[in-house]
Amino acid sequence: MRDPVRPNEQSRGSRRGSPHLRLKVGFLLMAIVLSFFAARLVQLQGFDPHSYAQAAEKENLHTQVLPAQRGRILDRNGEPLADSADGLMITAAPSITAEKAPELATLLATKLDLDYSTVLAALTGRSRGSTALFAYVARKVPAAKATEAVDDARAQGFKGLYLDDDPIREYPAGDVAANIVGFLGTDGPLAGLEKSLNGELAGKDGKTTYEVASQGTRIPLGDSTTVEPVNGTDVRTTIDGELQYYAQRVLRQADEQWDALNGMAVVQDVKTGEILALADDPTFDASNPGASPKADRGARSLSEVYEPGSVEKVLTLSSLIDAGKVTDRTQLVVPGELHRQDRVIHDWFSHGTLHLTLAGVVAQSSNIGTVLAADKFGNGQLRQYLDRFGLGRRTNVGLAGESPGILPSTAQWNHQIQDRVDFGQSVSVNALQMASAVNTVANGGVRIDPSLILGHATTDSGQVVGTDEATSRRVVSEQAATQMMKMMERVPDPRTGVAPQTQIAGYRVAGKTGTAQRAVDGRYDGSLTVSYAGFAPADNPRFTVYVVINDPRAGHAGGGSTAGPVWQKIMSFALRRYGVAPTGAKASDLPTMWGKGVDPHGRP
Amino acid sequence: MSNTAAAAAAVRSVRRIASWTDPAALQRARLTVVPRTRRTAPRLPFIALITTLLLGGVIGLLMFNTSMQQAAFVENRLRVQADNLAARQQALESDLQRLNDPETIAVKAQAHGMVMPGSPAVLNIATGKIAGVPMPATPANNVQLWATHRRPTAR
Repeated sequence: MRDPVRPNEQSRGSRRGSPHLRLKVGFLLMAIVLSFFAARLVQLQGFDPHSYAQAAEKENLHTQVLPAQRGRILDRNGEPLADSADGLMITAAPSITAEKAPELATLLATKLDLDYSTVLAALTGRSRGSTALFAYVARKVPAAKATEAVDDARAQGFKGLYLDDDPIREYPAGDVAANIVGFLGTDGPLAGLEKSLNGELAGKDGKTTYEVASQGTRIPLGDSTTVEPVNGTDVRTTIDGELQYYAQRVLRQADEQWDALNGMAVVQDVKTGEILALADDPTFDASNPGASPKADRGARSLSEVYEPGSVEKVLTLSSLIDAGKVTDRTQLVVPGELHRQDRVIHDWFSHGTLHLTLAGVVAQSSNIGTVLAADKFGNGQLRQYLDRFGLGRRTNVGLAGESPGILPSTAQWNHQIQDRVDFGQSVSVNALQMASAVNTVANGGVRIDPSLILGHATTDSGQVVGTDEATSRRVVSEQAATQMMKMMERVPDPRTGVAPQTQIAGYRVAGKTGTAQRAVDGRYDGSLTVSYAGFAPADNPRFTVYVVINDPRAGHAGGGSTAGPVWQKIMSFALRRYGVAPTGAKASDLPTMWGKGVDPHGRP
Repeated sequence: MSNTAAAAAAVRSVRRIASWTDPAALQRARLTVVPRTRRTAPRLPFIALITTLLLGGVIGLLMFNTSMQQAAFVENRLRVQADNLAARQQALESDLQRLNDPETIAVKAQAHGMVMPGSPAVLNIATGKIAGVPMPATPANNVQLWATHRRPTAR
């Protein structure tokens, strides 16, 4: 209520208050409003500016991933063992495609060689995992084929089909070297070099970002940025695809013939240590790994360890010669059985007392003779040699899952253990380890690291592997290696040795059989691991080949009779393939027996 | 104030000097404003020039833009074509790889009755000498191409 007494001027003034007060109130209100703006500004710019910027960009920028092409895995001649190709997935929106599904399914099934009912199920949204808006029609279709089929369908007025990148990994050689190459699953590499060298092979995806119009079409001159993909590096292995193929087939044939559980074969270049073939049987088809049991999808030649048996005598006796304790002509008296503290040692054949030379011990693979000779070792001396031969250590060729094998530790080492290790018991190896150890003798006593990669590559665990990284070290003297080679030459000789199956007409070959009991679940169950290791030409070796066959059950299996023929075939193939001529030198004629009235080049 | 005094002093001194000389000279000494000359430049050429420049710019920009758009479309079409050709090349290469696979070759060779050689031997062409012992290959030398049965993984 207005006071009537007060003049007009005065009453107006009191209603509005003093100008100063009004100004103050006005400024305060403005400050409050502005401080809200400021707070919002700080919130937007200060706390989380990126997410807002991204949200704004997302409105009209479209990003597409440019997949990097995965590096190839090649054999030593550049033939691909694993190759990458552009592939596409064809997807459908069933809500659109369902209407004309039968006609579209007929078209796609014909064009893409697919099963009609599967395609029909996808187009009508009845396939597994599909929704009304999304269903896979076909995955990993070669780009040319997929584009053609979808273009055709679109030309005929069908709608609701889409294409998207879906790179294809091809294994043109199927099961050849699959144990080494491994394979890719849908989400990533699952085995072999594909897994261990994934960092090298994978490359880095690029992306392209461009402005799109409201309908989603690309604006031709709009903003666009492209980060080119970095393709993966090719990895070149030391594997010779054809030799590998041959080794795998011959090995499988023998495994089937002998009803064996599995088999392994290694071909190594003597001088460089390069692995030319590393065969496993049974193996799997890298293009279709699901068809094989999981246990067959790796490399047993690296992951499985076993007792090498008599092949180990090559290491024992060459060490013994190197230590200056014996020579290839040392004469031994070998009794029918040898009583030791904890056990009785036998030979594979029963005999009375024999007069064998060391060469005869090798040729006839006498356990007793080997143990008697090895008694001359100083305490733990053999263990040091075996360690230098590479036993008990991973070869680290670049594949994951390798087992280091078991070499009894210095603390465990005693006379009883040495007696058994002498002829290949109480020590476990993987096939590649053993092949490289025997290769040391072939290479004049110098062990060279085996390699699976030409050049070098870095594994995902950070290890640099390959021929560039291979080191060598002398294990036994050249003289000891030569004497060992000459003794091993007596093994294939039908007059003196136990493995005439391994002769190659015209060539000097040196080898050693192995027949070991398999330790299954910590005990010997009576089954055998038979093997044969050797090199040729003996006096100037090019290749070391090692064949192992596990648990052969058909017939009378043995190192010479079972693994020997496989070794002979693979070695012959390698010599022929690489054009290695015989040296023409005369084979060794070391005496194998001694004493009155015995043939020095005979057999008991 | 001092200014007006100074000005008055100056006028007085001028008059004093003029009174000594010719009054005509005094008259001449009075300054008058020079009459302004009014020359109107023709407007048409200027407007025409500006219009031409503007139009030319706009049309040029439009044409440039259009040609860029065209180039973008052509680029897009060519890129698709290049992708298709690359895909075809890949398809052909993978066909070639399949044909080159040792297994494929072995199957075809065996179908033709060919066998693997058995014993390695080397013929030295220069000397005509044979190193090694060549032996005729027999069907036994052939590799078994297929697995006959699936084997157990353990037993």
